[in-house]
Formats: sequence, structure tokens, C-alpha cells
Amino acid sequence: MTSFVGILVETIVLGSIYGLVAIGMTLIYGTLRILDMSQGSMVMIGGFVGWGVLVVAGWSPVLAILIAFVITFAMGTFTELISVQPLMGRRGFDFEMVTFITTFAVAIVFANVALQVFGPFQHNVTPVVRGGVDVYNRVNLSYQNMTMALVSVGLMGGLGLFLARTRWGLAIRAVAQNLDAARLMGVPVMKLYPLTMGLASALAGIGGVFLGAKFFAYPSAGDLPLLEALIVVIFGGLGSLSGTLYAAYAIGLIQATAEVVVGTTWSLPILYAIILLVLVVRPHGLRGTPSEARL
Amino acid sequence: MSAGMPILEVRDLWAGYGATMVVRGLGLTVETGETVVIIGPNGHGKTTLLRTVTGLIRPKRGEVLLEGERVDGKTPEHLAGLGMVHVPQGDQLFPDMTVEENLVMGAFLPAPWKDRHRSLERVYHLIPALRERSGQRARTLSGGERRLVGLGRGLMREARILMIDEPSLGLAPVAIETVYGAIREIHDTGTTILLVEENFTHIGDVADVVHVVEMGSIVRSGPLEELSKDRTVVETYLGSL
Repeated sequence: MTSFVGILVETIVLGSIYGLVAIGMTLIYGTLRILDMSQGSMVMIGGFVGWGVLVVAGWSPVLAILIAFVITFAMGTFTELISVQPLMGRRGFDFEMVTFITTFAVAIVFANVALQVFGPFQHNVTPVVRGGVDVYNRVNLSYQNMTMALVSVGLMGGLGLFLARTRWGLAIRAVAQNLDAARLMGVPVMKLYPLTMGLASALAGIGGVFLGAKFFAYPSAGDLPLLEALIVVIFGGLGSLSGTLYAAYAIGLIQATAEVVVGTTWSLPILYAIILLVLVVRPHGLRGTPSEARL
Repeated sequence: MSAGMPILEVRDLWAGYGATMVVRGLGLTVETGETVVIIGPNGHGKTTLLRTVTGLIRPKRGEVLLEGERVDGKTPEHLAGLGMVHVPQGDQLFPDMTVEENLVMGAFLPAPWKDRHRSLERVYHLIPALRERSGQRARTLSGGERRLVGLGRGLMREARILMIDEPSLGLAPVAIETVYGAIREIHDTGTTILLVEENFTHIGDVADVVHVVEMGSIVRSGPLEELSKDRTVVETYLGSL
């Protein structure tokens, strides 16, 4: 039981942070109909921003989050403008497939620039928030982990409110649900697309600060989170925000349970066998609609 | 703008899909405060005409002028900003938004956004059925209710010209009565309207000028009374007047 609670706590923390990255991918897929492979780079960039602000400059974690937000927002907007926007409205090719590659190309460029600038080393980020609390029989939850999980969940809630209540949030959903109608309402889609990708990238960037603090900042730090986010997004149902959330925690829970019941060696094979099974039965994922999911 | 300039002028417009031209050399003018109705069989270019005027389709040839200013080839979002309102055919709604969110999106542009609460009240007053459904997702509505939401959404901002595509298509008679009741009220407020329908049946009280479209261009024009005396027109578009 103790080990189960321990693993559960860990997966909730990690699931929340990965959820930030995944929900950004869902936002982008729902709106632009592309799988943005540059989201992993935003995690990596966020990690380096966190390291730079916290370790090199010695500033506060709040500042690290804010600076990561601004920088990755700009990088995401830039990525959209160079790798997606030029392909829009053109015919005769598979838009989803080509942008999959162009965003991936951007990610490779970012990773190699980071490699040249920072080297292949793992940059350690010392914990900022000290202490912790025993949640159950010597299972410790550090305040730092707790803070990161809460901020992640708060940001996802904030995104939900933004989409439900604000003018531009509604516009993003409108574009996702009916592009022609949204344009007839006067929504400037060619500005909205880069802003949406900027927003999603900023969430991934903040996720990157957290992951960097939990592990390290290094040039390929975005690879695993990107893969995890892809799995979460497809398992949850492409384009479905609620599905993405369910999937992020369901995957964590399945993995935690498997680790306790059959041990670490078999937990991943079991997790992916279950994902395979679910997707074969429901190809559109947990919450995606059969034709196309919408925000 | 000089007085008497038509709100909308379409000159020798050609548009379609790929190499197939559906609108073929069509021309028309809409004067301020007028309700102009375009009648014609399915597949003869009525919807394509509206989609081209509002920028969803780029014309191959010809001009579209909004109070004398060339606007053909502009994007739909740009034209929306110039005061064109298009209520598209069928249920072109935001399916996973509530009725109220759909309506509010009609006021997306900066100036109408400030007035959205008042506009919402006005639309609910004009089409009371929408108030009852305000929290319901558009996806779950009946065809008639969806059409009403589409119309209500088009009324959430002031239109220099309001274009409505086949408001009666596929609706039950009672629903058609509601839709046209609302259109009549909008007409009476002096809004300029360009309306498309398949036949004469419902347009009696609203049409100032009627154009008959065949094969993508206008073949007959005139006030409704005049056209209704024209035997060939009446025989083709058997609407009971």
C-alpha cells in the first residue's frame, strides 16, 4: 500500500505536468488541425529558462515561470509563422502530414541550437521550495512537487476559463468548430493561429520549467514529454480537452497500479497493451467524436 | 459616400469550384433599405453568389462593390469588419457551443462586443424560442431551432447588408413562419437585406425587388407583383402567392 501511494503521488505530479504539455497539443490540434511536433522543444526551452533564471541568475521561481511563458509564447508564435502559416490555404498535399514534418524539423533545429549553446550536459536545478509533508505512512510529498502539480492544474483550469469566458477564447473554439462561420463573424484566423500556437507553447514552456526542476535541463529534455503528450492526446481523443485530461491521469493511474502489482519491469508493457486495446476498440480515443473532435 | 450609391453592386461576377463556374456573369445592385430576393432552382449559383460576395470564395472574374468600394477578393473576416453579415445556408453553427455562446460570437467584432448584452436581449426578444434554449449545445437542436440560432447570430451586430441563404430550407411550416416573422421585423427596421430562396412561397411580404437566377446569371428582374404576372416565371417557380 505504501509503495502504491508513493507511486500514485508521483504519477499525479508527473501527470499534471505532462497534462500541461498535452493540453497545449490538443488546443493546437483542435484549432489548426495539426500535430505540433515542436511542443517538445518548448519543454526543453522552458527547462533552460528555468535553469537560467533560478540557478544562473538566482531569481525567484515566479519570475522563471513568467519569463518562460513569454519566451516560449514568442517561440511558438514564431514556429507557427515559419512552419505552418506558409502552407495554409494551399492545395494538392496532405496538410496534416506535411506540418507534422515541418514542425518536427523546427524541433530538430531548436534541439541542435541548444546542443551547441549549452552542450550535451544535464544542467541541475536545485529545489527552490524546501520541505514536504507525509501523506501516508512515510510517503513524502515535497512542497515543490505539490506546488508544481497545483500550478499545472491551476493553469489548465485557467485555460478552460479562458476558452469558456473570454472573447478570444470563444474565438479559438469557434475556429475549431466551424472555420467558415468563424471567419464570417470577423475572427481574424491568420492572427489567431499563431496566437493559439503561442499560448499552447507557453503552457509547454511552463511544464518545461517544472520538468527541468524535477529532473534536469538538457537539449533532448523535450523528447520524452513530447512522446508522452502525443500518447495522451491520441488516447484521450484528438482535439478533446476533457479527453486529454482524463487520459493524462488514467495513464498515470494504470502505470502506478501496474508497477505495484507486477513490478517496474512489466508496468510499461502492460500500460501500452491497455492503450493498444482501448484504441483498437475506440479508434477515436476516450472522448474524441468519431468524425472529428472539437474544443 | 455620395447619396444614392447602392450598398452592394455586383458586376459581371464569375465564380465556382475549380474549373466549374457556377456563377456566370451575374450582376445586380442592392439599394439602401431594400430587401432584394434572389429566386432560382438548386444548383444554379445562389449560394455560391452569397459565398463569393462575403469572401468565402474568390471570384474568377468581375467586381463586388460595397458602397462604391471594390471588395472582391477580400477575406470574409475583413468583409465582416466592413459590415457584411452573412447567415449561411443550413446549420453553419458552432456545434459544441451553447446557443448563447453562438449568439455572442455574432458580436465578436470590437464595437458589437461592447454591446453584446443589449444585442442578446434584443435577439431574445425578437426570437423568444432562443431564450428557452440559451444553455443548450447547438449540436442538440432541431433543424428549425438551428436556423433560428443562425439568424439570431446574424442579428448580433448592425449590418450594412444582411445576406440570408435559404432561410426556409428543410423547415416545417410552423418554423418557416417563425423565421419569416423575424425577417419581416428586421426588414421593417430598415435593414438592407439580400435574401436567397428557391421559390416565391414565403417572400410575399418582404421582397422589394426579385431577381430570377438560372444557370448562374439573372434572367428576370422586377417587383414581385410584376414577376408574378409573368406566366413562364410562375410556371417554373410554382410558389403559391
